[in-house]
Amino acid sequence: MLATLVAIALVVQDQAPLRAASQDSAPRQATLWQGEWLEVRGERQGFIQVYDHRRERPGYVREQQVRVVHLDEASVPRLQAVVEFLEDTPGAEALGIGYAAALLRAVPASQVGPELFDALGSMADRLARRATSHRSNDASLAAHLDVAASYGVKLVSFEREGRTRVCYDGEAFRRVLALGGSPEMRLRAALALTRPECIDPAMNPLERQALDEWRSTVLEQVDAGRLPAYLANRLHLRRAEVHAALSYQLSRRGEAQRGAKASERAVASLASVLKAELAEEDKSAYAAAAVRVGASRFASEPASEQPGAGPVLALSKGQPGETCLRLADAKAPGSALFERCTYGLVWPGSVRRSAQGSAVAVAVQLLEGWTELWVFHQEGEGWVLDALAPAATEPSLGYVELAGFSPDGSRVLVAREALVEGRIKSSFQVLKRDTLLPEKSADSPGALGAFQRWSSADWRGGTVAMR
Amino acid sequence: MSEQNQNETQQQEQRKHGEEKRGEFLRRMSSLASEATRGMVSRVRWLIYAERGRRVMAGLAVTGMVAGVVVAQPVCMIEPGEVGIRVNRLTGKVAELREGWALLVPQVHRLSRYSLKDQTYQPTRSTRATDPAPFQSVEGLSIGVEVTIRYVLDPERIPALAARLPEDIGRDIVEPVIDGVLRRHFAQHTVREIFSTHRVKIQQDLSAELLPLLAADGVIVRTVTLGNVDLPQQYRTGMEVLLAEELNAEKMRYTLELKDKQVKQSALEAEADKVRREKAAEAAGNEEIIAAKAKAEAMRHVLPFKEKEIEQRRLEAEAAKVSRLTQASAEAEAHRIEAAGEADARRKLAEADAYRVDVTGKAASEQLARDAELISRNPLLIQKTLADKLSDKIQVIIAPPQAGGFIAGNLLGQPQEARYAGGSSKGSSLAQAAVSENTDSDTTGSEE
Repeated sequence: MLATLVAIALVVQDQAPLRAASQDSAPRQATLWQGEWLEVRGERQGFIQVYDHRRERPGYVREQQVRVVHLDEASVPRLQAVVEFLEDTPGAEALGIGYAAALLRAVPASQVGPELFDALGSMADRLARRATSHRSNDASLAAHLDVAASYGVKLVSFEREGRTRVCYDGEAFRRVLALGGSPEMRLRAALALTRPECIDPAMNPLERQALDEWRSTVLEQVDAGRLPAYLANRLHLRRAEVHAALSYQLSRRGEAQRGAKASERAVASLASVLKAELAEEDKSAYAAAAVRVGASRFASEPASEQPGAGPVLALSKGQPGETCLRLADAKAPGSALFERCTYGLVWPGSVRRSAQGSAVAVAVQLLEGWTELWVFHQEGEGWVLDALAPAATEPSLGYVELAGFSPDGSRVLVAREALVEGRIKSSFQVLKRDTLLPEKSADSPGALGAFQRWSSADWRGGTVAMR
Repeated sequence: MSEQNQNETQQQEQRKHGEEKRGEFLRRMSSLASEATRGMVSRVRWLIYAERGRRVMAGLAVTGMVAGVVVAQPVCMIEPGEVGIRVNRLTGKVAELREGWALLVPQVHRLSRYSLKDQTYQPTRSTRATDPAPFQSVEGLSIGVEVTIRYVLDPERIPALAARLPEDIGRDIVEPVIDGVLRRHFAQHTVREIFSTHRVKIQQDLSAELLPLLAADGVIVRTVTLGNVDLPQQYRTGMEVLLAEELNAEKMRYTLELKDKQVKQSALEAEADKVRREKAAEAAGNEEIIAAKAKAEAMRHVLPFKEKEIEQRRLEAEAAKVSRLTQASAEAEAHRIEAAGEADARRKLAEADAYRVDVTGKAASEQLARDAELISRNPLLIQKTLADKLSDKIQVIIAPPQAGGFIAGNLLGQPQEARYAGGSSKGSSLAQAAVSENTDSDTTGSEE
C-alpha cells in the first residue's frame, strides 16, 4: 500500500493523451508532454490510472507512454542511470528534469551530491538555449518550458539586441558550487552563472557593478590548475572579461586603485590563455575578451612623464562624472592651447606625444568596452582635437590605440579592433597626422612596413592586439 | 476523761525532764567558756613575752601589709588606644594619662579609662519586628531596623568631660540619645518610606541630627547605616505585592518608553534608509546619466564617420551612375556603330553572295552542260563514279548477337547454336552481319 502511495508516473512521450476511461476511444482529457509528473492510482486494461495534480484531473494513460517510478531508495541507481543518459540527450530536457526531480525525491538527503544538480543545471541551461535558438519548428518547446517551470526550474527572459533571450537563473549551479564537485562541474557552474549574454541589459551601472563583483567571486571559486588546458582557457577568458568590466566600473566610481588592480588581473588572465590549446568554438570569445581587455588596459598603466619640451595635457574635474582635458604649453602653463570636457574616462597612463611636439594622443574610454583615441594636433597656428573611434558602428565593443608616430611626426600609427557585424575585426593603419585619414591599412601589423619600423616599444610590450 | 488526765500527767513529766537537761547544758557551756578565755590570755602573753611569739607576730604583720598592697593596686596600665583620666579625690585635680604605666594612690586617686577606638552601636533589641523593643512607624506598625552607628569619643574633650560624664559613655549617653532620635525619626515616616523610598533621606536626617547632639557630649558620630528593615509578615507580603505591582507599573512605563524610543528609532532608521535610498537612487541615476552621456559622446564621434560613410557611398553611387551612364551611352553608340557596320557588312556580303551565286550558277550551268555532254558521250562514267563514291565507305563490323541469347550465356556455358537459330556456319553469319552493318552505316552516312 505504501509502495503504491509513493509511485509516480513520468510521461515519456510528447502529446500523450490523458483519457477519461481506459479505452483508446474515450475522450481526451488533456495532452501530456514528456517529463510530466502524475500520481499513480491503479492499473486497468493496459492503462495506468493516474491523477494529474497540475491540471487537477484524473484519467487514464497508456502504459507505454509513461514510466512508473517508485520513490524509494531501491530505485535510486536506476533513476541515476536514466538521468545520466538524459543529461546529454538534446531535446529531452523536460524529461530529464522530471527524472532528476524524481531522483531528488527518492535519494536520501545525505546522499544528494553535486552531480545531480550539475545534471539538472545542464539540462535547464540547454532548454534555455533551445528556447533562444532560431529554430521555429520546435512545436514542443513551449510545453517543455511549462513542464520545467512546474518543477521550479526558473527561466528568465529579456530582450537583447532586438531578440528575446531565455536564460536559466542558475539555482542548481549555485548548489553545485556550494556542495563542491569536480573541477569540471564547478567550471561548468561558474561559466553558466557568469554568462555575459544573460545579464539583464536594463540594469543600472550600480547594479551592474555589484553583479560583476559577484561574478568575479564566483569565478574565483574554480581552481584553474586542476582543469584540462582547453577548459582552463575558458575560465581565463571569462575572468579577463569580468575583470576588464570591473576595472572600468571601479575607475568610473573613483576607486582608481581597485580599478588598476582589476585591470592588471584582466591582462594577466588573458595572458594565461594557452593559444595552442584554444578550442575552435572559443576563438571568437577569445577575440572578444581581448578587445574588452584592450579597451580598459590603460587603467593599470601608470601616468608617464613626458620628457622634453612641448604641450602638456592636464586633467581636471568638471561637472559630476566629467573630466576636462586641458592642453597647455609647457613654457606658458597658464594659457590653454585647447580645452575639452568629456563624460568618458580619460586614462592618464595613455598620454603620448610625438617627438616634435606637434601631436598629443590620449585614450578615452567612453563605455565599458569602447575606448577612443583622442589626438590633439597642430593645424597652422592653432590646435584641433580629433577623436578616432574604433569603428563606424553603434558603440558597443572596440578600442583604438596609438602604436606610435613616424620619426618626422607626419604619420600616426593606430591599431583598431572592434565588433563589426558580429565579428571582431582588427586593422592596423597608418594615418596622416594632419587629416587623420588612413593612408595604409592592413589586417596584421606584419603586413605594413611602417608598423615594423615605427611602432613604439611600449605599445608592442603592452598591447593585446598582437596576440 | 481518764485519758485526758493521763495525757496531762505525761506532758508534765516530759516538761520536768526537759528543764533538767537544759540546766546541765548551761553548766557545761560556762565551764568551756572560762577554759577558752584562760587559753587565749596565755597565748597573748606568749606572743608578747616570748621571743618566738614576737617573731610570729612580726611575720603576720608583714604578710598583712603585702596583701593590702596587692588588693589596692597602686600602679595600673593604660593600653594603646585608651586614655585614662585620673581624678584626685582630695584636690579635685584631673590628669590625662596616655598609654603606659600610671601610679594611683589608693583612696586618693580614681582612674577612669576611655577607649579612643571606633565603637559601634547596634540596637539589638529592635532589629526584628518581633523583638522586645521594635521601632514604630507613623502608622503605628512595629518594624525592626538594623541600625549601625559608628562613633568615637573626642580625645580633646575627654579631660573636660570626664568629671561630669558617666563611666560608660556608650551605655549611659550614646545609646539613649541614639535610641531616642531613631524612634522619633522612624515615627515620622511610613513603613513604605522606611522600607524603600526615603531610606537614604532618613539616613541623612539621622546623621544630621545625631552629629551635633552627640558632639555636645564629646562623641563624634562617624556613620549612620540603615540595614535590613524587618516588617510584620502580613504587611511584608502585602508590601511586596504592592511593590511588585509598582515594579510592574514602572516596568510597563519603561517598556512603553522603550517602545516609544524604538518607534522613534525605527522612524529615524526608516528616514535614514529613505535618505540612503534616495541618495543611492540619485547616485544610480547620476551614474546612468553619465553613462548615457558617455554613450551619446561616443555616438557623436561615430556619427561623422557614419555621415562620411553615407556621403562616400552617395558619391560612389553617383560616380557609379555617371560611369554607368557613360558606359551605357558608349555601349549604345558602339552598338549603333556596330549595327551600322554589320548592316553594311551584310549588305556587302549579300551583294558578294549574289555575285557569287550568279557567278557560281553560271559556272555550274556551264559545268552541267559540259558533264551532260561528256556523259552523253561516255555512259559508263556513271557506274565508275558510283563505285568511286562507295569504295571508301565499305567496312566490316562484327556485331553482337541481336536476340535470343542470354547476356551471360558464355559464362553459363549456353550452347553457341542456340544463339544463332537457323545459322549454318560461323563464316556466313559473320558475312551477314557485315552486310547488315554496312547497310546500316551507309544509311547513317547518308543521313549525315
